[in-house]
Amino acid sequence: MSQPILETKNLTKAFGGLIAVDKVDLTIDTGKITAIIGPNGAGKTTLFNLMAGVYRPSSGEIFFDGKSLKYRPWYAKAIPPKLKQRIFKGKLQRYASAHRRAALGIARTFQHVNLFGNMTVLENIMTGQHPRSKYGFFAAALRLPKAKHEEEKISLNATKFLNMVGLGQHAHQNALSLPLGQQKLLAIARALATEPKLILLDEPGAGLNALEKRELSDLIRRIRDMGITVVLVEHDMPLVMGIAEWIIVLDSGQKIAEGTAAQVQKDRRVIAAYLGEEIDDAEG
Amino acid sequence: MLSWSGKKWIYITTAMLLVFLILFPFDWFLGQYTYLMITIGISTMVTVGLCLLMGYTGQISLGQAAFYGLGAYFSAVLSTKYGYNPWLAMLIAAVVTGAFAYIIGYPMFRLRGNYLAIATLAVGMILGILFNRLSNYTGGPDGMAGIPHLSIGGFAFDTNFKRYFLVWFFCLAVLFLSQNIVRSRTGRALRAIHGNEAAAESLGINVAQFKVKVFVLSAVYASLAGSLYAYHANHIGPSSFDFLASVKFVVMAVIGGLASIWGAIFGAGTTRLLSDQILLGFNNNQVDIIIYGLILMLIMILMPEGLFVSIKSGTLWLRTNWRALPSIMKTKRDELPARIKYLFGRLLSTRLWRKPEP
Repeated sequence: MSQPILETKNLTKAFGGLIAVDKVDLTIDTGKITAIIGPNGAGKTTLFNLMAGVYRPSSGEIFFDGKSLKYRPWYAKAIPPKLKQRIFKGKLQRYASAHRRAALGIARTFQHVNLFGNMTVLENIMTGQHPRSKYGFFAAALRLPKAKHEEEKISLNATKFLNMVGLGQHAHQNALSLPLGQQKLLAIARALATEPKLILLDEPGAGLNALEKRELSDLIRRIRDMGITVVLVEHDMPLVMGIAEWIIVLDSGQKIAEGTAAQVQKDRRVIAAYLGEEIDDAEG
Repeated sequence: MLSWSGKKWIYITTAMLLVFLILFPFDWFLGQYTYLMITIGISTMVTVGLCLLMGYTGQISLGQAAFYGLGAYFSAVLSTKYGYNPWLAMLIAAVVTGAFAYIIGYPMFRLRGNYLAIATLAVGMILGILFNRLSNYTGGPDGMAGIPHLSIGGFAFDTNFKRYFLVWFFCLAVLFLSQNIVRSRTGRALRAIHGNEAAAESLGINVAQFKVKVFVLSAVYASLAGSLYAYHANHIGPSSFDFLASVKFVVMAVIGGLASIWGAIFGAGTTRLLSDQILLGFNNNQVDIIIYGLILMLIMILMPEGLFVSIKSGTLWLRTNWRALPSIMKTKRDELPARIKYLFGRLLSTRLWRKPEP
């Protein structure tokens, strides 16, 4: 069995007195479709944001590809050790921010699609290629050969991802002129354009009709077949049960169960969490 | 992905613009307005920076005249009081202004929206006060005189005719470089930040860093323009770099269309024409600031894309639809085609233009 792509250890996030995610240990296996489910307020979105780098954990650690997402900033060496002890209490560490995680290979989509309305469909995907290209202001301003070369590569790759989600004929339309279903596909294509190892999908099924949902599950399977690990946070049970190979159930910030769809459906604690049924401790 | 006919129009307009710019300063053409045209070129450089910052990145700066002033004063002081070569002084001014923008940019761009506007306004005001009070260096409210001309070898840019070409060389270079930036990976990153910061961050764009970088770029443009202004006018005073000057730059950017690089020439042109020719009599009793405010309001309400962009899309529409025009004129407002409603929708939906219901 290969190494898990993402691992959390004792991950905790508190907002003031409210503990949204409480000492969660989980492993996301490489190359699988994993779903995180749970009733409202279970801490799914907080967990998602912790993985995506929007929030900093209160404590605990996240490992991506075997490496911790904590790092020592460049100025850590410049600060004398005594001062470090006094001011930072020896803990001069930072968590990789969202843009750094995108560069490492964690892509994400948003519940509210968050497309760039001031760009065309193709440009949206081209923006996704940002972490896989390098040239900056200087090369762009002078149109150095490096810039031209990379730009060609970017538009080629972008077209590839555009065709993958089947929006080829809408390439030069404004992104927001698409209907919601296609906007969601575009958002996934944009995230794929960062060429990630792990893609986090935040409620990809919300607001889609049955046909669009079928297309979506199809796309998610194709993404998995490309060798990209998929994690989705989703409310839509039929969608989750249909595609997820591993399901993690959260309730009040804690992991209460995990397993395949069949295992989770039978789990008494899961049923209790969803239906509010009393359970005996002995059985739990 | 323009068709050949679209490209053809771009080439034709660019060629016409170039010919017009080259012939402009000759006495038999529009030579008497050369001075005005030089100030337009200088203002355009500042406006382009502001377009990149405001139109593309979606940030705001109400203190751009301060960077313009920093460029002017650094060049003036270094070249007159310390005897530096004017070109070297210009370079030092640009580097120092850029570094200054970088240092204040990092904390400032943690702010957003109105708070950012106020912070930039404050920076502009502080620098404006410094220009007034550091009278040992800047000459205080009286300003500085006797700033040397730029020269290459033995060739001095000592007449308006010569300086015209110098300024417009710089101006077109800045326009060209900015155009390239906008159409690149960097330009997409800037627009992404405007579109949605969270999404931009999720795609690996270092939002904070890009904001500061484009701020530095716009400050450097403003500084270069300020240096050129100092060497051109030979005399500078703090009143050219006050809050009103910053507002004028914003008006220029807005008239030209915030997200339009070439609109900057148009915006700077109309605003300069207005302030240096038409409103010249009004600036003593500060009526002009009311008029700028009014222009800003009207454009933001009626054509938020900018006067230049609206005219451009309007003519584009007319070129394709002129045959249908008579029939369109006859139809009622509610039956107008969607495209017209889109173009003139804001105008038509304003109560001023709507007839009262019976």
